[in-house]
Amino acid sequence: MSTTIDTRGFSCPQPVLMFLNAVKADDHGPFCVLVDNDASLENVSRAARNRGFSVETSAEADGVTRLDISKQ
Amino acid sequence: MTQSRSQNSPMRTLARKLRGLFTPGGKKSAGEARRLNKKACDDRGLLVFEHTGEVIRAERLLREAGLDVEVKGPPPQLRTGCDMVVAFELVNQLRVQEVLARGGLAPKDVVSANDVLLEPVSLFQVKRLEGRWLMVRAANMKITLDETDGRIVNISGGGCPDVPWVAHQLCGLKLEQAPEPLSLGQTLCCYSLQKAFEELRRQRACGA
Repeated sequence: MSTTIDTRGFSCPQPVLMFLNAVKADDHGPFCVLVDNDASLENVSRAARNRGFSVETSAEADGVTRLDISKQ
Repeated sequence: MTQSRSQNSPMRTLARKLRGLFTPGGKKSAGEARRLNKKACDDRGLLVFEHTGEVIRAERLLREAGLDVEVKGPPPQLRTGCDMVVAFELVNQLRVQEVLARGGLAPKDVVSANDVLLEPVSLFQVKRLEGRWLMVRAANMKITLDETDGRIVNISGGGCPDVPWVAHQLCGLKLEQAPEPLSLGQTLCCYSLQKAFEELRRQRACGA
Protein backbone atom coordinates (compact mmCIF):
# COMPACT_ATOMS: atom_id res chain seq x y z
CA MET A 1 0.00 0.00 0.00
CA SER A 2 1.61 3.23 -1.15
CA THR A 3 1.93 6.37 0.98
CA THR A 4 0.62 9.45 -0.80
CA ILE A 5 2.43 12.75 -0.31
CA ASP A 6 0.58 15.73 -1.78
CA THR A 7 3.05 18.59 -2.27
CA ARG A 8 0.80 20.70 -4.47
CA GLY A 9 0.94 24.35 -3.46
CA PHE A 10 4.20 24.00 -1.55
CA SER A 11 7.35 25.75 -2.71
CA CYS A 12 10.88 24.42 -2.60
CA PRO A 13 12.32 22.91 -0.50
CA GLN A 14 9.09 21.78 1.18
CA PRO A 15 8.20 19.03 -1.33
CA VAL A 16 11.59 17.38 -0.87
CA LEU A 17 11.37 17.67 2.90
CA MET A 18 7.87 16.20 2.92
CA PHE A 19 9.15 13.24 0.94
CA LEU A 20 12.20 12.81 3.19
CA ASN A 21 10.03 12.92 6.30
CA ALA A 22 7.91 10.13 4.83
CA VAL A 23 11.05 8.10 4.07
CA LYS A 24 12.21 8.62 7.64
CA ALA A 25 8.93 7.17 8.89
CA ASP A 26 9.07 4.23 6.50
CA ASP A 27 12.14 3.77 4.37
CA HIS A 28 10.70 0.96 2.24
CA GLY A 29 7.90 2.84 0.55
CA PRO A 30 6.35 2.73 -1.94
CA PHE A 31 5.36 6.37 -2.20
CA CYS A 32 3.13 8.35 -4.48
CA VAL A 33 4.13 12.00 -4.63
CA LEU A 34 2.07 14.68 -6.33
CA VAL A 35 3.95 17.78 -7.51
CA ASP A 36 2.76 20.80 -9.42
CA ASN A 37 5.99 22.33 -10.78
CA ASP A 38 9.11 21.23 -12.64
CA ALA A 39 11.53 22.20 -9.88
CA SER A 40 9.74 19.98 -7.36
CA LEU A 41 9.57 17.18 -9.91
CA GLU A 42 13.34 17.32 -10.41
CA ASN A 43 14.20 17.77 -6.76
CA VAL A 44 11.96 15.02 -5.40
CA SER A 45 13.10 12.63 -8.14
CA ARG A 46 16.72 13.39 -7.33
CA ALA A 47 16.21 12.94 -3.60
CA ALA A 48 14.49 9.60 -4.23
CA ARG A 49 17.20 8.27 -6.57
CA ASN A 50 19.92 9.36 -4.15
CA ARG A 51 18.32 7.07 -1.61
CA GLY A 52 18.10 4.06 -3.85
CA PHE A 53 14.52 4.43 -5.05
CA SER A 54 13.31 4.20 -8.61
CA VAL A 55 10.97 6.89 -9.90
CA GLU A 56 8.28 6.71 -12.53
CA THR A 57 6.43 9.83 -13.53
CA SER A 58 3.06 10.35 -15.15
CA ALA A 59 1.18 13.50 -16.08
CA GLU A 60 -2.10 14.22 -14.35
CA ALA A 61 -4.64 16.98 -14.91
CA ASP A 62 -3.98 20.67 -14.26
CA GLY A 63 -0.20 20.55 -14.56
CA VAL A 64 0.20 17.99 -11.79
CA THR A 65 2.75 15.20 -12.09
CA ARG A 66 2.55 11.99 -10.16
CA LEU A 67 5.74 10.27 -9.05
CA ASP A 68 5.55 6.58 -8.18
CA ILE A 69 8.57 5.90 -6.03
CA SER A 70 9.64 2.41 -4.98
CA LYS A 71 12.72 0.58 -3.82
CA GLN A 72 14.88 -0.72 -6.66
CA MET B 1 23.22 64.99 49.35
CA THR B 2 26.85 64.45 49.99
CA GLN B 3 29.17 63.31 47.25
CA SER B 4 32.43 61.51 47.58
CA ARG B 5 35.23 64.03 47.41
CA SER B 6 37.59 61.40 45.98
CA GLN B 7 35.30 60.78 42.96
CA ASN B 8 34.43 64.33 42.05
CA SER B 9 37.33 66.50 43.02
CA PRO B 10 38.47 68.98 40.38
CA MET B 11 41.89 67.33 40.35
CA ARG B 12 40.40 63.92 39.50
CA THR B 13 38.30 65.47 36.74
CA LEU B 14 41.35 67.16 35.28
CA ALA B 15 43.36 63.94 35.53
CA ARG B 16 40.63 62.05 33.68
CA LYS B 17 40.57 64.58 30.88
CA LEU B 18 44.36 64.55 30.57
CA ARG B 19 44.33 60.74 30.40
CA GLY B 20 41.87 61.00 27.55
CA LEU B 21 44.22 63.27 25.64
CA PHE B 22 47.26 61.08 26.02
CA THR B 23 45.77 57.60 25.83
CA PRO B 24 46.21 56.08 22.33
CA GLY B 25 42.86 56.39 20.55
CA GLY B 26 41.59 58.54 23.33
CA LYS B 27 39.35 57.40 26.11
CA LYS B 28 35.81 57.67 24.88
CA SER B 29 32.57 57.50 26.71
CA ALA B 30 30.27 54.59 25.86
CA GLY B 31 27.87 56.98 24.15
CA GLU B 32 30.58 58.52 22.00
CA ALA B 33 31.90 55.07 21.07
CA ARG B 34 28.43 54.06 19.96
CA ARG B 35 28.06 57.21 17.87
CA LEU B 36 31.43 56.64 16.22
CA ASN B 37 30.63 53.01 15.52
CA LYS B 38 27.31 53.94 13.97
CA LYS B 39 29.04 56.59 11.87
CA ALA B 40 31.56 53.99 10.65
CA CYS B 41 28.73 51.66 9.69
CA ASP B 42 26.98 54.49 7.89
CA ASP B 43 30.09 55.61 5.92
CA ARG B 44 29.48 53.13 3.20
CA GLY B 45 28.74 53.56 -0.43
CA LEU B 46 26.63 51.25 -2.50
CA LEU B 47 27.29 50.38 -6.12
CA VAL B 48 24.11 49.62 -8.01
CA PHE B 49 24.27 47.63 -11.22
CA GLU B 50 21.71 46.66 -13.79
CA HIS B 51 22.72 43.01 -13.90
CA THR B 52 23.98 40.50 -11.39
CA GLY B 53 26.84 39.61 -13.73
CA GLU B 54 28.21 43.09 -13.28
CA VAL B 55 28.01 42.71 -9.51
CA ILE B 56 30.08 39.54 -9.71
CA ARG B 57 32.72 41.19 -11.91
CA ALA B 58 32.84 44.29 -9.75
CA GLU B 59 33.31 42.26 -6.58
CA ARG B 60 36.16 40.30 -8.16
CA LEU B 61 37.92 43.36 -9.60
CA LEU B 62 37.65 45.34 -6.39
CA ARG B 63 38.85 42.47 -4.19
CA GLU B 64 41.76 41.82 -6.55
CA ALA B 65 42.65 45.49 -6.10
CA GLY B 66 42.78 44.93 -2.35
CA LEU B 67 39.57 46.80 -1.54
CA ASP B 68 37.27 45.67 1.22
CA VAL B 69 33.87 45.19 -0.38
CA GLU B 70 30.83 43.14 0.41
CA VAL B 71 27.93 41.97 -1.69
CA LYS B 72 24.63 42.71 0.04
CA GLY B 73 20.97 42.75 -0.74
CA PRO B 74 19.75 46.12 -2.00
CA PRO B 75 17.59 48.37 0.17
CA PRO B 76 13.99 48.50 -1.15
CA GLN B 77 14.54 51.96 -2.68
CA LEU B 78 17.35 50.67 -4.88
CA ARG B 79 15.88 47.50 -6.30
CA THR B 80 16.50 47.55 -10.02
CA GLY B 81 15.80 43.92 -10.72
CA CYS B 82 19.31 42.90 -9.74
CA ASP B 83 19.27 41.22 -6.34
CA MET B 84 22.62 42.51 -5.17
CA VAL B 85 24.61 45.68 -4.52
CA VAL B 86 28.29 46.09 -3.71
CA ALA B 87 28.98 47.90 -0.44
CA PHE B 88 32.30 49.66 -0.04
CA GLU B 89 33.92 52.14 2.33
CA LEU B 90 33.17 55.65 1.13
CA VAL B 91 36.69 56.78 1.89
CA ASN B 92 37.80 54.52 -0.99
CA GLN B 93 35.29 55.85 -3.49
CA LEU B 94 37.83 57.32 -5.91
CA ARG B 95 39.87 54.13 -5.96
CA VAL B 96 36.72 52.05 -6.41
CA GLN B 97 35.64 54.11 -9.40
CA GLU B 98 39.13 53.93 -10.88
CA VAL B 99 39.22 50.14 -10.63
CA LEU B 100 35.77 49.79 -12.15
CA ALA B 101 36.55 52.18 -14.99
CA ARG B 102 39.73 50.22 -15.80
CA GLY B 103 37.66 47.06 -15.83
CA GLY B 104 35.12 48.59 -18.18
CA LEU B 105 32.36 48.60 -15.58
CA ALA B 106 30.02 51.52 -15.04
CA PRO B 107 27.58 51.24 -12.15
CA LYS B 108 24.05 52.40 -12.75
CA ASP B 109 24.32 54.41 -9.56
CA VAL B 110 26.69 55.09 -6.69
CA VAL B 111 25.01 56.20 -3.50
CA SER B 112 26.02 56.86 0.04
CA ALA B 113 24.11 54.67 2.45
CA ASN B 114 24.26 57.44 5.02
CA ASP B 115 22.91 60.28 2.84
CA VAL B 116 19.67 58.65 1.92
CA LEU B 117 19.25 56.44 4.96
CA LEU B 118 19.71 53.37 2.85
CA GLU B 119 20.67 50.25 4.63
CA PRO B 120 21.58 47.25 2.55
CA VAL B 121 20.06 44.07 3.79
CA SER B 122 21.69 40.80 4.43
CA LEU B 123 22.04 38.78 1.28
CA PHE B 124 21.00 35.71 3.21
CA GLN B 125 17.87 34.30 4.63
CA VAL B 126 18.46 31.47 7.06
CA LYS B 127 15.62 29.24 8.18
CA ARG B 128 15.34 26.20 10.34
CA LEU B 129 12.57 23.89 9.26
CA GLU B 130 10.91 21.30 11.46
CA GLY B 131 13.93 21.21 13.76
CA ARG B 132 15.90 19.10 11.29
CA TRP B 133 16.56 21.07 8.15
CA LEU B 134 18.70 24.16 7.70
CA MET B 135 17.94 26.25 4.66
CA VAL B 136 19.99 29.18 3.43
CA ARG B 137 18.80 31.42 0.67
CA ALA B 138 21.06 33.87 -1.15
CA ALA B 139 19.37 36.00 -3.79
CA ASN B 140 17.46 33.49 -5.94
CA MET B 141 19.14 30.27 -4.80
CA LYS B 142 18.34 28.02 -1.87
CA ILE B 143 20.37 25.22 -0.37
CA THR B 144 18.98 22.91 2.30
CA LEU B 145 20.89 20.70 4.69
CA ASP B 146 19.77 17.78 6.85
CA GLU B 147 21.32 18.69 10.19
CA THR B 148 21.09 15.13 11.50
CA ASP B 149 23.70 13.85 9.07
CA GLY B 150 25.14 17.02 7.52
CA ARG B 151 24.07 16.12 4.00
CA ILE B 152 22.80 18.52 1.37
CA VAL B 153 19.26 17.44 0.55
CA ASN B 154 18.06 20.10 -1.86
CA ILE B 155 19.21 22.88 -4.13
CA SER B 156 16.69 25.01 -5.91
CA GLY B 157 15.96 28.36 -7.46
CA GLY B 158 17.22 30.23 -10.49
CA GLY B 159 16.69 29.48 -14.13
CA CYS B 160 20.25 29.03 -15.28
CA PRO B 161 20.78 25.85 -17.31
CA ASP B 162 23.48 24.46 -15.05
CA VAL B 163 21.36 24.41 -11.88
CA PRO B 164 20.05 20.83 -12.33
CA TRP B 165 23.58 19.61 -13.03
CA VAL B 166 25.05 21.39 -10.00
CA ALA B 167 22.21 20.12 -7.83
CA HIS B 168 22.85 16.59 -9.07
CA GLN B 169 26.51 16.93 -8.13
CA LEU B 170 25.88 18.30 -4.66
CA CYS B 171 22.70 16.74 -3.32
CA GLY B 172 23.39 13.72 -1.13
CA LEU B 173 26.91 14.82 -0.23
CA LYS B 174 28.01 15.88 3.19
CA LEU B 175 28.59 19.61 3.30
CA GLU B 176 32.26 19.29 4.19
CA GLN B 177 32.85 16.91 1.28
CA ALA B 178 30.87 18.83 -1.30
CA PRO B 179 32.72 20.75 -4.00
CA GLU B 180 32.14 24.48 -4.13
CA PRO B 181 29.35 25.44 -6.55
CA LEU B 182 31.58 27.84 -8.45
CA SER B 183 33.91 24.95 -9.22
CA LEU B 184 31.01 23.29 -11.03
CA GLY B 185 29.35 26.16 -12.85
CA GLN B 186 29.97 29.74 -13.79
CA THR B 187 26.51 31.21 -14.14
CA LEU B 188 24.83 33.85 -12.04
CA CYS B 189 22.82 31.16 -10.31
CA CYS B 190 26.03 29.37 -9.39
CA TYR B 191 27.39 32.56 -7.96
CA SER B 192 24.32 33.01 -5.76
CA LEU B 193 24.50 29.36 -4.80
CA GLN B 194 28.16 29.78 -3.88
CA LYS B 195 27.21 32.59 -1.51
CA ALA B 196 24.49 30.44 0.05
CA PHE B 197 26.91 27.52 0.32
CA GLU B 198 29.50 29.66 2.11
CA GLU B 199 26.86 30.98 4.51
CA LEU B 200 25.66 27.45 5.19
CA ARG B 201 29.21 26.47 6.11
CA ARG B 202 29.47 29.48 8.41
CA GLN B 203 26.17 28.56 10.08
CA ARG B 204 27.40 25.01 10.66
CA ALA B 205 30.79 26.15 11.87
CA CYS B 206 29.14 28.43 14.41
CA GLY B 207 27.10 25.49 15.60
CA ALA B 208 24.05 27.61 14.91
